[in-house]
Amino acid sequence: MIFKKPLFLLLIVILIAVFLRAYKLGSVPPSLNWDEVSLGYNAYSILHTGKDEYGKLLPLVLQSYDDYKPALYTYLAIPTVALLGLTEIAVRLPSVAFGVIAIALVYFLIIELLGGKNVKILDKEIKSQYIGVLAALLLAISPWHIQFSRIAFESNVGLTINIAVFYLFLKGLKKSVFLPISFFVGALNIHMYQSDRVFTPLFLIALSVIFYKQLLKVKKWFMFSVFLAFLVVLPFIVYTFTNSNALLRAKGVSVFSDQQLVERSSSKLLQDSETHNTVGKIFDNRRIEFGKAVVSGYISHFDLNWLFITGDIERHHAPFMGLLYLFEFPFLFIGIYILLFLKFDWRYKLSFFSYFLLVPVPASITSGVPHAVRALNFEWTFELFIALGVIASLLFILSVKNKIFSLSLKLFSIIYLLLTILNISYYVNQYFFQQNYYSSADWLYGYKQMISYVNSQRPNYDKIIVENQVPFDQSYMFFLFYLKVDPLYYQSLGGTKTGGFKEEHKGFYNLTFRHIRDVKDTGRILVVGKPGDISENLKNRKVFYYLNGDAAIAVAEK
Amino acid sequence: MSGWFLKTEEMKKYLLLIIVILAFLLRFLFLGSNPPSLTWDETAWGYNAYAIGIDGKDEFGKFLPLTYIESFGDFKPPVYMYLSVLPIKIFGLNEFSVRFASAFFGVLSVLVTYYLVLEIFGKKQDNLALISAFILAISPWHIMLSRAAFEANVASFFVLLGMYLFLKSVNGKSYLFIFSVISFVLSMYTFNSPRIVVPVLVVILCFVYFKILVKNLKTIIIAGIFGILLFLPLLFFLQTPQAKLRFNEVNIFSDISVIKRTNQEIKNDNNALFSKIIHNRRLTYSVEYVRHYLDNLNPKFLFITGDGNPKFSIQDVGQLYIWEIPFFIAGIIFLFRKREGRFWIVPTLLLISIIPAGFARETPHALRIESSLPMFQIFTAIGIYYLFLMIPKKKKAISVGMLSLIIIVNFIYFAQNYFIHYSREFSGEWQYGYKEAVIYADSVKNDYRNIYVTESLGRPYIYFLFYSHFLPQAFRNEAKIEREVFGFVHIDSFSNYKFTNDIAHVREVGALYISSPNEKPENGKILKEFKLINGKIALVAYTL
Repeated sequence: MIFKKPLFLLLIVILIAVFLRAYKLGSVPPSLNWDEVSLGYNAYSILHTGKDEYGKLLPLVLQSYDDYKPALYTYLAIPTVALLGLTEIAVRLPSVAFGVIAIALVYFLIIELLGGKNVKILDKEIKSQYIGVLAALLLAISPWHIQFSRIAFESNVGLTINIAVFYLFLKGLKKSVFLPISFFVGALNIHMYQSDRVFTPLFLIALSVIFYKQLLKVKKWFMFSVFLAFLVVLPFIVYTFTNSNALLRAKGVSVFSDQQLVERSSSKLLQDSETHNTVGKIFDNRRIEFGKAVVSGYISHFDLNWLFITGDIERHHAPFMGLLYLFEFPFLFIGIYILLFLKFDWRYKLSFFSYFLLVPVPASITSGVPHAVRALNFEWTFELFIALGVIASLLFILSVKNKIFSLSLKLFSIIYLLLTILNISYYVNQYFFQQNYYSSADWLYGYKQMISYVNSQRPNYDKIIVENQVPFDQSYMFFLFYLKVDPLYYQSLGGTKTGGFKEEHKGFYNLTFRHIRDVKDTGRILVVGKPGDISENLKNRKVFYYLNGDAAIAVAEK
Repeated sequence: MSGWFLKTEEMKKYLLLIIVILAFLLRFLFLGSNPPSLTWDETAWGYNAYAIGIDGKDEFGKFLPLTYIESFGDFKPPVYMYLSVLPIKIFGLNEFSVRFASAFFGVLSVLVTYYLVLEIFGKKQDNLALISAFILAISPWHIMLSRAAFEANVASFFVLLGMYLFLKSVNGKSYLFIFSVISFVLSMYTFNSPRIVVPVLVVILCFVYFKILVKNLKTIIIAGIFGILLFLPLLFFLQTPQAKLRFNEVNIFSDISVIKRTNQEIKNDNNALFSKIIHNRRLTYSVEYVRHYLDNLNPKFLFITGDGNPKFSIQDVGQLYIWEIPFFIAGIIFLFRKREGRFWIVPTLLLISIIPAGFARETPHALRIESSLPMFQIFTAIGIYYLFLMIPKKKKAISVGMLSLIIIVNFIYFAQNYFIHYSREFSGEWQYGYKEAVIYADSVKNDYRNIYVTESLGRPYIYFLFYSHFLPQAFRNEAKIEREVFGFVHIDSFSNYKFTNDIAHVREVGALYISSPNEKPENGKILKEFKLINGKIALVAYTL
């Protein structure tokens, strides 16, 4: 029967995945956020001039908002921008594609990981293909994965690359030619996403340690792989050493720059020196506070509320939902237990768990934890656990001999299945039909509508002054994007000027970007900013609204 | 199998003794001065016990209250008061004797933990039992709750004892069953949480041990009837509006934002039927419940900062030690892998203990889930025990040494923060300043016709009763008492003390005023300042 063919099932899974990622793409989430417009416009700029907004030729790192983004996503967006123009869909499409690829890859990775044969769960032989398909299905419908494969987040491509690295490495143990490919792809992640700059190298080192015996046998291939990876990473190393600002972002989000953390310990230290408390002088130490903060950041990713019920900031999850389905809760724990004691090559098992345990490492040294984007690499490991949990539970129910017990378990399963359907429909409703209402402010809704209006009014005014303070920070980029400003023209004005977030932006056309309070310019002036900052008495006042009806942006004549 | 730890039986006995002594020292040393002062509730326990010790009536004159003492209108379960009568008779009405019962039962909990672990995992697991008892003895969670008059700490002891006696009776000594029932019922007369935890636990135990219980039908029926009779008065009380008042105030189901939200969601779906199903408010409330429940398992709460309320945690150490993380996780895995004895009791009791806390808005809450102790510690102990069994013989000594070092370092970190910095940093949380103020006011009491006292720091009257050893009979005669609609009890005055919310508007010349510094009018002449340990002024005494 064709329904028993795993590859056929995988095809169906992929169709589901494509549907869930393509449906309403560009309109849910309702608008592009800062990073998405930046990635998009820079792709547009490089496509037409070979240079980014700063006028830098083929950059490896985008200075962007002085957060120095790895540039690879922008290059991936060049073909889609070339094909579809500068639109929401064009910017988000590479992420969708890699999201779907991840699902196919997970299937093959899991089969490879479990040794390609049958595995024994509760004394029953199960084809590893079925485990792969189930995990792929769970990934295809996963709220966490859908969230990030429908928006232009580098992290999502990074996840797909990490899955590929793992798969190719395991393949490479059998057929050495895959080894250099694995390292090459892994090295690309350095140019993809900040967290993966830490994660992927650590994971490759862990793999190399775990399989050192096998790698010693193919020494030449291994040396070549490392050399190849080094070549790919080299430009980044050179960049970091020659550019003092390259690590600005990393410093900005690191816990070690969090001064609040040490306030209490330093006041205690003061008390210690007053009272000559030697023990206290050792223990009331900011290094201990930092150490605790790192551990705290790490374990925060195992907060069950974060995973199942609340998520973190609004842009990272569907409204009033966590990152995973609540119905998966028990299966996660059963699955972890099953996988821990499942019989397959211990090195493979160790490599899986080292992947799992390394995921929160990059996020743990940052503030703002737990962080669904920085820890996105978790995604497929959870789905594998849950898939095993589901299979083990089903096998258990089928194996029960006692009739009454068996019957009540089956009844319970039917109720559980209904709740599962309820849970999934709830998610679909929250994501596709409630999200725009509840989260449009978080997605900076209103820019597109406002910009098209302002553009139509542009000829009537001498100067248009646009707010550039929170929440209108980086407003210039939205204008560049939605007005499709010719990159050659923009660069001829000098492009974006470096120098911190708050500096006045020179602007283009008759647009200026700065704080709109105390505007002293003369002539016909149009101001754009927070509705609260723009008096209702001004002429031609027009307000743009979020999708829940709250005022978002106001435009008026000064 | 267990030989790696200690060789002889005698050494183990000494070790248990040492652990209990350690627990005793950590709970009784400086008990009267750290935490630095008494909270309202502690003071109320003390004064009510004092009053009962004099004429058998509580502060308001209720004779031997059985189901509740009214106190501030929070209807405290009465057991802690009765337990404090004797210590107060012996040691006098002071901080130490108020906290004595909690500390004393805290030490006993450590001892019972040892025997409970033996009942759960079998007599051979005495090493595991010793490790469990040791971890509870040094647990920041348990130490902090044992060092203040928290009735929850005593209730947890009764739950633990009841559990132990139940297992003992299932293991053959069925006459103990009745004592198990008594202990369980007592816990319900001691604290609120066991009123949910114990019934759930008992139902599960009866279900699991149905066959054994049926064999001893006579004992069971007698004990059961006895238990129900003991429980009846409480059951009647729980049906009264007073008892429900406090619950309604703190529970999550009175949060109307959920209803607003689901209504909006249904509106967003154009009132479709399916939307009414998936956005049913009962479902949403259930998820809210789960969220509050899981809050109590938040890793940061457990291992890094502990409860946000400084009375339950010093904020520098979690409810558990940070070093426990790997062992706790290993313990969970080993428990389910080995499935020794009655292993299931450990996770079951832990999970049941959190049920009541999930209904409350304030989560996580170290106090309301305290009956989950020592299950956390047992998990850690299992992790340590089995991980060390796996270590090759030659490396055992060095591993034990390493772990001991880590435990000691982490313990010193906790202890130096708790015994040296804690009282200075958080004395305000413990209503520091009242004692000095009362002693001062009491000494000059006869010089003034009226003494006005602010209520801005909360419930001052009880401190005046407590620290001036005011005679309960006199208090009952003189006090002007108001009872508000929501059950709160308000003392307007007794003797020449007047308590007011609005001290700034009292303009009586020649009276003594005690208020917080920002309430003092500018022309007030300060007679004395009462400072927190960190130097901040808590209260001032002044005249106009």
